[in-house]
Amino acid sequence: MTKQLSLITGALAGLALTATVSTAALAEETGSSTVYGDMQSVTQDMLSRAAGDGNNFLHTNGNYKQTRYHPARQINTSNVKNLRPAWIFQTEVVETMETTPIVVNGIMYATTAFNHVYALNARTGEQIWHYKHKMGPITTYCCGPNNRGVAVSGDKVYMGTLDAKLVALDAKTGKQVWEQQIADPELGYSETMAPTAVNGKILIGTNGGEYGIRGFVKAYDAESGKLLWHFHTSPEDSTGVWAEKDATGRDMHRDIAAEKKALKELGDPYKTVGGGVWQNPAVDLEMNRIFFVAGNPSPDLDGSLRPGDNLYTNSLVSVDLDSGEYVCHFQYIAHDVWDLDAVSPPILTDVVNAKGKTVPGLLHAGKTGHVYVHDRRDCSLVRFSEAMVPQENMWTLPTAEGARMLPGANGGVEWSPMAINPELGLTYAMNLHQPMTYHVESSAYPAGKLWLGGAFKVIPSEAQWGNISAVDYNTGKIRWKVKTEQPMIGGVLTTAGGLLFTGEGNGYFKAYDAETGSILWKFQAGAGVNAPPATYTVEGKQYIVVAAGGNTQLNFKRGNNILAFTLAD
Amino acid sequence: MASRPATSGLRGTVPWAVPRSFNHLAVLLLAGFLLLGLCGPSVAAELGERIALCTTCHGEAGLPEDPQVPIIWGQHFYYIYVQLKDYKAGRREHEIMSQIVVDLSKQEMQALAQHFSEQAWPAIGFRSSDRDVAQGETAASAGQCVQCHLGGYEGDSRVPRLAGQKASYLERTMLDFKHKKRKNSPSKSPLLASYDAGAIAAMARYLAGF
Repeated sequence: MTKQLSLITGALAGLALTATVSTAALAEETGSSTVYGDMQSVTQDMLSRAAGDGNNFLHTNGNYKQTRYHPARQINTSNVKNLRPAWIFQTEVVETMETTPIVVNGIMYATTAFNHVYALNARTGEQIWHYKHKMGPITTYCCGPNNRGVAVSGDKVYMGTLDAKLVALDAKTGKQVWEQQIADPELGYSETMAPTAVNGKILIGTNGGEYGIRGFVKAYDAESGKLLWHFHTSPEDSTGVWAEKDATGRDMHRDIAAEKKALKELGDPYKTVGGGVWQNPAVDLEMNRIFFVAGNPSPDLDGSLRPGDNLYTNSLVSVDLDSGEYVCHFQYIAHDVWDLDAVSPPILTDVVNAKGKTVPGLLHAGKTGHVYVHDRRDCSLVRFSEAMVPQENMWTLPTAEGARMLPGANGGVEWSPMAINPELGLTYAMNLHQPMTYHVESSAYPAGKLWLGGAFKVIPSEAQWGNISAVDYNTGKIRWKVKTEQPMIGGVLTTAGGLLFTGEGNGYFKAYDAETGSILWKFQAGAGVNAPPATYTVEGKQYIVVAAGGNTQLNFKRGNNILAFTLAD
Repeated sequence: MASRPATSGLRGTVPWAVPRSFNHLAVLLLAGFLLLGLCGPSVAAELGERIALCTTCHGEAGLPEDPQVPIIWGQHFYYIYVQLKDYKAGRREHEIMSQIVVDLSKQEMQALAQHFSEQAWPAIGFRSSDRDVAQGETAASAGQCVQCHLGGYEGDSRVPRLAGQKASYLERTMLDFKHKKRKNSPSKSPLLASYDAGAIAAMARYLAGF
């Protein structure tokens, strides 16, 4: 950190951290920066136009296509060096933070671990309201008490909870309007993803792939909370095509004969085969379809109890927005026994296919370390990128003693959302290199308890690191790569100012030149910056915001700060 | 190590939960039962007797004398309840506990779990050596233990608190998982099987010192 930055940070720490602004001034301020419609209520038009809205950040991944590419360009490659903290807000929960702050007309909504929601003045950081979810006694989650943020629609704010509920709050007061029990937490269901709001529906998936759940995406009525449709990520016939090769053509060493024998003895495993949906679906409003990825099968490492391809685990899936009916899917790894599943949210963008024709495309970054490029009309694979991290001994089967294979089970690319720069044709993925051994040991379905079918073990003697990889999605080639000293988890933001923002477990939050990967600015946040950044404009001033709360999964230093930056005057 | 808010403070009241203090509980249960005419004051007294029985091994002030008996004061409600259920169903075995739970009803198990979860975790004053911390931290990192037990090893809901638990109990428990003597959390066995006894002992002392 520069001396100047240190002084500013110190000064901020010495203050109460939030400026005092009168309610009248606040009301005046929030009434003057409207771009679309009545900003007191988030209209579908606003949500649909979010990709072009430089004032707001209305979706967890920026817009329905989930590009995380924001049109604001006031902060750009020329002046980002002048970026300074505008305010720092401290939540009352010092634990892992994965929230993407949502900003509506100068009001920010951010969440913490254990399901707190804060509404803040986005210009000053002043708290407007604070909601604490009354957590039930049973929560079941594998990777930290995370929450990735809210959805906004109409006059409400929506959040999924660790005890597997969906709650709707009054956006002005933070009072609960309704809540729905999504699934039974005793059986391993929980919620950490932000919901998606579209056309009067609230869409949400589920965690639980480590507990023998049956995964799903559900749609609820935004006004009443009534269930509208329920798509199971495991169909009653989950056997599939008995694929022996993965999406890249490599042999997965399946014993198909043994699996078919097991199928006769055990039946189809669809009721407990997992397939959690951890992250937001992308929405194609013209096609009236959503696209999401489904996670690993249960138990993670033991395939002997779940014969077949275990559809639609480890897959890209598309369903109809109105009915939830299946449209198409593409499975990356059939019958996965490594937990190298599909978690990072898909991005919709035009891509050039193998014939040189531009088609409606879709990008997904896998734990395998590849970016997969699809034609979203039929989910088919167009190409896959060069590997962004070392791959060794793929696909060595897990053993009782432990088999070393790279990547480790956290990736490659974990849940961290990518961002693209459509002008450059690049997508940006944050990767982990965390060598592990894969151990298998069969055990019966334990009715909601952790069900890994073995163990993942980090190899302490081997170095861990991360990288940010810029991938040309029209060729699959890596344009540039920046190595980081720790594995990367969190998320990426890109802007029309030619910038890329992302944070690291060591507390650094950095701005890069999206074209070259040059580091243009950095700030030490004091705790792991492992949440996806966002950006917005208030009173003509662009801000960059990110949470620094560390990360449970990788045990990065915990904190409780939400930091907003803007250009020095 | 990062701090985090006390989990009990974040949780709502269980529909069948009992009030915070046992005295308060006894009064309310008694009043409720008399009002409903379902049973007499013996129910509350019976629960009090159960709790008294528990304390003979688990300690009147929450600190057991027997090195192999765990601290259950301040342990998570759902974890305690699941253990009692598992003892009763035979999924977890223990010479004494398996006998004690035989005639416990679901409501009694929940009431006991609620009672003990609401007590303050006793300080054991254990100090880990630098060597234990170094070895234990390396071993726990390899197993990604914080993913479930959380950063301060305080656990949550169905995942037990390990921080400040007695080292002797932690070591024996991990060895029981390793050797499949304890079977009611099947994913623990392959993980603990990958550690040698020395690493397990270091981890136990590391966690006891939190």
